[in-house]
Amino acid sequence: MTGATAAREAPLAELRISEPMGKAPRLITFADGAFCEVRDHAALAHLLAASGHRDRAHVRWQFDWRMVAATCLAFVALALAAYFYGLPVAARLAAPAVPESAIKLMSEQTLDFMDARLMSPSKLAPAEVEPLVRRFAALRPPEATSIAHRVLFREADKRIGANAFALPDGTLVVTDQLFRLAGSQDEVIAVLAHELGHVAERHGLRMVLQSTAVGMFLAFYLGDVSTVLAAAPAALLQASYSRDMEREADDYGSAMLRENGLSPALLANMLERLEKAHRDKNGDVPEYLSSHPTTDARIRALRGGAAAR
Amino acid sequence: MSHPESGSHDTPTLPPPSGDLTVPAPYRSAAAPQALPFVFTGKGGEYFGIWIVNLLLTIVTLGIYSAWAKVRRLQYFYRNTSLAGASFDYHGNPMAILKGRVIMFVLFVVYNATAQFFPLFGLIVFVALAAVMPFLLQRSLRFRAHYTSWSGLRFGFDGSLGGAYRVFLLWPFLTTITLYLLGPMWHQRLKQYQHRHARYGATQFAFDARVGGFYRVYLLAFGVVIGGVILIVIASGLGATQNSAFVGLLPFAILGLALFIQPYLMAKLQNLVWNHTQIGPNRFDSHVASGRLFFIVITNLIGIVLTLGLYQPFAAIRLARYRLESVSLLAAGPLDEFVAGQQQEVSATGEGAADVFDIDIAL
Repeated sequence: MTGATAAREAPLAELRISEPMGKAPRLITFADGAFCEVRDHAALAHLLAASGHRDRAHVRWQFDWRMVAATCLAFVALALAAYFYGLPVAARLAAPAVPESAIKLMSEQTLDFMDARLMSPSKLAPAEVEPLVRRFAALRPPEATSIAHRVLFREADKRIGANAFALPDGTLVVTDQLFRLAGSQDEVIAVLAHELGHVAERHGLRMVLQSTAVGMFLAFYLGDVSTVLAAAPAALLQASYSRDMEREADDYGSAMLRENGLSPALLANMLERLEKAHRDKNGDVPEYLSSHPTTDARIRALRGGAAAR
Repeated sequence: MSHPESGSHDTPTLPPPSGDLTVPAPYRSAAAPQALPFVFTGKGGEYFGIWIVNLLLTIVTLGIYSAWAKVRRLQYFYRNTSLAGASFDYHGNPMAILKGRVIMFVLFVVYNATAQFFPLFGLIVFVALAAVMPFLLQRSLRFRAHYTSWSGLRFGFDGSLGGAYRVFLLWPFLTTITLYLLGPMWHQRLKQYQHRHARYGATQFAFDARVGGFYRVYLLAFGVVIGGVILIVIASGLGATQNSAFVGLLPFAILGLALFIQPYLMAKLQNLVWNHTQIGPNRFDSHVASGRLFFIVITNLIGIVLTLGLYQPFAAIRLARYRLESVSLLAAGPLDEFVAGQQQEVSATGEGAADVFDIDIAL
């Protein structure tokens, strides 16, 4: 190595050559700490290639547009695969490990939140609902272990309407509107059996675990930008149960109905009524926005199950 | 200077003085100080490659690669920053960074697990954590400075452990119990601790920003928020009586105000801190304009949203370029002599090579 005021020679193995970083100068450092900055990248690359020096593979990637494009695709593919396949499996494995106390706490907080903003006490007379609650409590579960649960009625505001939902601790909430919409007590029982399926399969808990994981990933991915930006999409992405979860809950519900001599078609009837009620209210809801996708397919499956009996 | 791409509470990595053989002749005669601007040559397209490879390898290795990713990211920013023709560089050892991250991760997990199930034990862990954090942060400041160089010569940080306990434990405590009234004073003490104990080679930095300056910045920001809210309330009152569509714009006005305040503080604080920092006889000049910074931050945010995050590396480069190129060194004399002197002194004292307890944690 020679310059206007100095000349040095050293074996290549004793030199430390800093990684390429775009147009930034590269540093060649001698064993004693003396160094020289090189800005002529083409010439240096030529020299290094001739002497057999090679940068590590992932260092070369960073500045090769084809490798960068491939990395982008790999990142997107990995993210999609993790979201659609990895995440549900991981949540299913992790769900049994969540302590009871945490499940109880999160369920109570959700109910309190909904009671404060979206629901008010039920206007139904106790005489109307008590026989139904007693009957449901007396039903045999479809599996060996029975699921601890309680049934609550609430008057819902317009955003919820005729609906029912399950909290992870086994609290099943039925709105007054759904109770009035039902053609018979049996149809409400069928909805409760479906909701109990969500509890048995830990769907609510798995959703919470999944959205927590998505939130953590977004915080890592967008960490430098803002936590506000990171929080919003997590909520959107996890708005509803997946199709698979609905199908599992339907299976559990129909098994429970059959076990107690009732027809799964009851649930199909109720689904039809609900869909009609929501369509009348909202106009035609595109399927991808709906929280209960492919309702027609579910109705057919339930009626098929009823016929097969 | 805190490298802009990593936030305002970053450890100081200080750019300082001096030059090499390219210093122009007239300024050798040393009359008025010569303004030497910081030059940033980073490109979004180049940095994108580093960023996406870092991201993928970090995910694939479940976070372990993040330490190497950090070194590459800092090297890209530092080596593309130059002053008087010589560039900065970052020499941090990824293993030390990994060690810091593992320690932080373990502390975090232990704290969360215990706080959840055994509140009392969680409290004990919290106290232990508070007791050990200032020590880790002081080590981290030393690490960051020691592994930063300009023109081949390293920076250093000699802040005492006592000082670290004051700025990282005592002052946060005082700030909390006074409901943040002492916040600006804490900030001044923190910057004073970081800048007064930093050095380049053997030359100590000096810092003379007063507490009053910090209170002024924070009060002005507070005034901007209050003024903005009053304006929005009046405008919506007027608008509501005349045109109800006007009310639809309200959330945007509030969002705009909220988004303005962070770049406003960032600009004013950077100027305050660097206009009162000095190394040897050389001062700094920082003139970040909050309006321009706001424009960059808001357009960055829009770009990031529209590209689902892929614009982030470009955004980081834009922000770093503006913040860095708003700073100059006001050199009081020939920089090449200054650097040469430093090099001699340092080799005489034998720059305390890597510390046994090398560690780096992000602030």
